[in-house]
Amino acid sequence: MALILQASLTRVNRYYEKDVRKLAAEVAFNVIDSAIVDDVDYVIVGSSLSYLQSPQLDLASYIAGYIGLRGARALTVEAGEASGLAAVQIAKSLIDSNHAERVLVVGVDKLTDHVSSETYRHLQSIYDTESDAVYNIGHAGIAGLLMRLYMSRYGVSREDMAYWPVTMHSHGKSNPYAMLRFNVSLEKVINAMPVADPITLLDLYPIGDGASAILLSSHEDSKAGDAIAELVRIESATGYPSPALRDDPLFIESLEEASRRLNMGTREWERVDVIELHDTSTITAYMILETLGIVDKGRAPQEVAKGRFTVGGEGPVINPSGGLKSRGHPVGATGVYQIAEVSLQLAGEFPGVRVDDAKLGAVISINGHGSSSYVGLLRSV
Amino acid sequence: MVMTSHWRRKANFYRLRGYRCRDCGKVFFPRASACIYCGSRSLEEIDLPRKGRLMSYTIIYGSTDSAKFEAPIIVGLVDLGYTRVIAELTDVGQNEVQEVMDNGTPLEPVLRKIGADGESGVIYYALKFRPIMGVSSGEE
Repeated sequence: MALILQASLTRVNRYYEKDVRKLAAEVAFNVIDSAIVDDVDYVIVGSSLSYLQSPQLDLASYIAGYIGLRGARALTVEAGEASGLAAVQIAKSLIDSNHAERVLVVGVDKLTDHVSSETYRHLQSIYDTESDAVYNIGHAGIAGLLMRLYMSRYGVSREDMAYWPVTMHSHGKSNPYAMLRFNVSLEKVINAMPVADPITLLDLYPIGDGASAILLSSHEDSKAGDAIAELVRIESATGYPSPALRDDPLFIESLEEASRRLNMGTREWERVDVIELHDTSTITAYMILETLGIVDKGRAPQEVAKGRFTVGGEGPVINPSGGLKSRGHPVGATGVYQIAEVSLQLAGEFPGVRVDDAKLGAVISINGHGSSSYVGLLRSV
Repeated sequence: MVMTSHWRRKANFYRLRGYRCRDCGKVFFPRASACIYCGSRSLEEIDLPRKGRLMSYTIIYGSTDSAKFEAPIIVGLVDLGYTRVIAELTDVGQNEVQEVMDNGTPLEPVLRKIGADGESGVIYYALKFRPIMGVSSGEE
């Protein structure tokens, strides 16, 4: 059994005065101090873009020393945008296999150490550098291609595609850890600066730094207080190097496989109370929802527009944090944010939009548009 | 971009070479050491079809420093029949590209500049796709 004893998050933002170690130390100290523990068996660090922005190899070991845990075993996990959830998966496997009783997982990343055009170049390497990413194309470009394909296939208007950012901002507004805490209107989304037509700036996640930490334990620990949630399982799968190579570019086969490995079919997904998923853009969110069968193909815009995924809707509640769109997406840290947020929901302690009586939660993280996919399941304790 | 790694990719990006799996028959791009569909290592290098159609496109306004000279960039999802590729489009205007997609206008690959390392640095080339117009194409 893997229990989440503590969770800590930093507001996603541009922290010019803080480096990766400082950001990591703040959240690590929060969980260690709250749990009143002075040692952990392992420090697992999920980080990705920081390698390109402020290169530091063997990052986890340097962080361990920096936060006073010299001597602990340490390992850095890099899986692109899914690094955070991959780090949690490794941490859980150490506990499940009795290699550790207590693991500190830190997701931390830095996106603002370079000018934005340079950061966009770094972000391009999320995609296949031997094919798609040779051209001047990154997140927004690939998402733009997929969004136009979706709109023309299902006859969806640009306005209908704007309900996602509107919903996400309405969630993130009250999340103290969200980078963008303001409402946006449909008009504002549609008329924002075009980035990769039909995608505007407000369809995309904001660029920000961040860190989140959890303390994972094999057992209840009276000193550490009550667990906030149980991490039931995490599964993952790899996929095609480019969406262009799939039978259907809009279907994320690696996500379907990860979900299948958890025995999560359409009916099982309906029983989940709260989900934090990887909405780097509106179309990415819709591809995830439709791949998992949470909505039928081509139906995501209508379901989102009628408020199904907000509190009071038919459910499940999706991204009460505001998601990547509003909370932000410190690339390699995001999966740990999602685990922390869902754990706090299950404990009834999330400080923003709260899902009452949530028993079952899920976290979905992918790299790019599905070179790999990770799905985690959590339940209340 | 780095010159040596771009040089290694020249078969892929100057000649539109793809790979056909001798076991499952599927075709894909770029190079892999085993078939991305079935895992077989029995692959043959082939020329991909030099005619495609536009399935989707996007107009990218922001771009990296090495490609600022050509912003905005139009990128397409191009269906080559046996397989699909994502590649830049050229010789087509922002106001014409929707029509190219709607009409199913055939596209052909041409070698074009995709970036440069500053004013005096290396210039990088790769294939881009352009609409085949009129009688001059001769690509049937």
